Amino acid sequence: MINTLYSLDTLGTPMAFFLALLIGIGFGFALERAGFSSSRRLAGVFYFTDMAVVKVMFSALITAMLGLSYLTAFGWIHMDKIFFMPTIYGAQIVGGLLFGVGFAMGGWCPGTAAAGLAAGRIDALVFLVGTIGGSILFNELFPIIGGLYRAGDQGVQLVYDTLGMSRNAFILVFTCVAVTAFWLAEWAEKTRMGRSAYLGSPFLKAFSLALVAVALGLFVLSPASTAVTRAPTGLATAPSADEKILMAKVQEGRDHIMPEELADRLMAGESDLMLVDVRPPAEFNTYRIRGAVNVPLTQLAETLQPRKNKGVIVLYSNGMTHPAQARDSLQRQGFVNVYLLTDGLQGFRDICLKPVSLRPEPMSAAAVARINAWRTFFTADDVSTLVGLATPLASGPKPHVVETDWLAGRLDAPGLKIIDLRPQPEYNSAHIPGSLSLNVESLRGNVGGVPSMLLPATMLAAQFSLLGLNPSDTIVLVSGDKLHDSTLAGMAFERLGHLNFAVLNGGYAKWIHEGRPADSALPAVAASKYPASQDADRFTVDFGTVVTALGKPGTVIIDVRPTDFYVGQKSDEARAGHIPGAQNRPFTEDVVTSSNKVVALKPRDALSAAYALMIPSKDTEIIVHCRTGHQASQTYFVLKHLLGYSNVRWYDAGWTEWAARRELPVVNVAQVGGR
Amino acid sequence: MNNTIHIPPDGPKPYANPYLAGILLGLVLLASFVILGAGLGASGGIARMGASVSMCVSAPHTLGSEYFGKWGAKPLNYYLVFMFVGTFIGALFSALLANRMRIQVERGAAASVKRRLGYALMGGLLAGFASRLAQGCTSGQALSGGALLLSGSIVFMLCLFVSGYATAWFVRRQWYD
Repeated sequence: MINTLYSLDTLGTPMAFFLALLIGIGFGFALERAGFSSSRRLAGVFYFTDMAVVKVMFSALITAMLGLSYLTAFGWIHMDKIFFMPTIYGAQIVGGLLFGVGFAMGGWCPGTAAAGLAAGRIDALVFLVGTIGGSILFNELFPIIGGLYRAGDQGVQLVYDTLGMSRNAFILVFTCVAVTAFWLAEWAEKTRMGRSAYLGSPFLKAFSLALVAVALGLFVLSPASTAVTRAPTGLATAPSADEKILMAKVQEGRDHIMPEELADRLMAGESDLMLVDVRPPAEFNTYRIRGAVNVPLTQLAETLQPRKNKGVIVLYSNGMTHPAQARDSLQRQGFVNVYLLTDGLQGFRDICLKPVSLRPEPMSAAAVARINAWRTFFTADDVSTLVGLATPLASGPKPHVVETDWLAGRLDAPGLKIIDLRPQPEYNSAHIPGSLSLNVESLRGNVGGVPSMLLPATMLAAQFSLLGLNPSDTIVLVSGDKLHDSTLAGMAFERLGHLNFAVLNGGYAKWIHEGRPADSALPAVAASKYPASQDADRFTVDFGTVVTALGKPGTVIIDVRPTDFYVGQKSDEARAGHIPGAQNRPFTEDVVTSSNKVVALKPRDALSAAYALMIPSKDTEIIVHCRTGHQASQTYFVLKHLLGYSNVRWYDAGWTEWAARRELPVVNVAQVGGR
Repeated sequence: MNNTIHIPPDGPKPYANPYLAGILLGLVLLASFVILGAGLGASGGIARMGASVSMCVSAPHTLGSEYFGKWGAKPLNYYLVFMFVGTFIGALFSALLANRMRIQVERGAAASVKRRLGYALMGGLLAGFASRLAQGCTSGQALSGGALLLSGSIVFMLCLFVSGYATAWFVRRQWYD
């Protein structure tokens, strides 16, 4: 079995470029041999003076079609190793009609013009300049004609399926049509020009017979393709070779996963299984299968890109229609590892979660135990797994998230400084004993014309000195209802190279809700001399770095603003929309707010799963940004300190600056009328 | 046009038997399917050149555009660009071998150079635009997609010939002798 470069996902490598060059040489050679380096000869097809286009093109098409069918029948190559273009009727009908006008006018098509240029044709050069211009024009008009580009998208459609024929029957008919076309072409030349090289010649008779015989041979060699089937060539479901072992777990050749199997595999904690809930966020937040991540349909392809053909992706919704459509769309984009949960969420509930007592059928003890295990696992409250984020602050790396319990036992610890980031009136009325008040906005100011920038190290050090802090202190940051106040203060400490800080999970609300001590006394502070380390900040980047990253495939840009700002529906800035290629994950997705106003980070494994979808590996270059840097500090914190991504950068100036700099590119999904 | 090429007395060799040339082309296409896992393409490479030109004019604008933007800052790093260069090289090889290299504006003897080049430019513009819309040209859609029996490719091919024949009469003067 041959693995193509496409199936190995190596079409972008230098090796592929070299092989493509060689194949191109063969292509150009064949075109020139055929006389396709002459516009007069090419255009002749439209005046019946020279029918070479019909003869060459159909000979080539039939040769490749029959060749591929034979290779498949011999089992040397599988159709799923080949890229199949989607059928998009609107675009291809209008495109075909326009193209025909261009072909007849210009006397060239793009490939033959390259051959014509090689044979010295200046009209070919002019035609090529035109095609480059036409491509640029298309790009410029794309916002207007994007709808047409996708009009009538059918996915991968094979013509014999469309016509309801078997593959072999269609191939035979198609071959006969081509042979007829050859004879008609010769006849047309004879009628129009008075001469025909091959009409009735022994060569054409033998050639015609040979083609039909080869097409008939398929009925013997590949009887399976004689049956009328739906898309047997499935770009569909067959996994590529290196995924085989993994995929073998999934029912072979099926695109569904049964609820029982999904449940078992989720409980086993398979790390390469990604469960995606495609329902609206509101429904997801109300109820979901444990371990699922929520991805809106519109962002599916973009978000799942890092998991393309890696592991198994399972889609589910309430029913089957949306996931099936999403799966089809993903397949068209080359995903072969997308599966559907049979009967969706309802099926999962009925089969896995329905209490044994409510089931009419008799059950074995083993079946009962299995169902009870599922119920225990999948009905466990998500929030109950919140605890355990922090480990005791002993030796080893210090945790960056601490729980109230941890802090309560260390209130008097030497070198531990608690910083309360809530508004001053709240601090004044009551705070954790000994805590220092700090207004997070005092850490920011106008830097170089951009408002709300984290202040330079010297100014931060001056403030820390007034607070009496020292580089050796362990800092605990306490916020009110904004966890990102703590993480922004954390950025200030990081800028000074002070990494020994932690965020109190749940903030002051959790502390007081648990009935822990509080007072209103102001602590005694002796000013210190906090040194201004200048070179500790290697994580803040400016717009230039972001622009450079735009062209670098590996970099993941995460826009943490609310989705309506990301898409451009809402805006407080000069321009609406987002940075090209940026993915959206609102910072609010990383926290849960409970009924008593306690804002805490989501469970680590939920965050880990969600970001694993967006970011290929732990050392991927990541840039996070929001509007002013405040919200993005929280995502930065989650990625870097909680999940251990090593290469996270913070674009502090964020959308405030990007939107105002008109030379920077912006994508506005809301404006171009959706995807 | 002045002909600056030295023409040997024996002149250019005749073109190959079109059916055999077609079989050769079909085998190249088959090799492309088997090795690359994708068919032949020409307009894809040209469009990448278009994106590259656009990058030179304004990189932020190009990167921010919805269509070219997704090709990144180096649109030429793409296998079809190399295939296009190969097509030129292969054709050059064949043309030299057969002594068919002639620097000229190919047209009818009675047609002006201006008319012919005007049509070529306009035709190129339309073909370039249309091949982006249809996601391929005669090579990528009609030939490669046709050999894979894709419905859209075959519809593209039918439409191409229908409108080609409909247009031919209007642009016939460029070929008048």
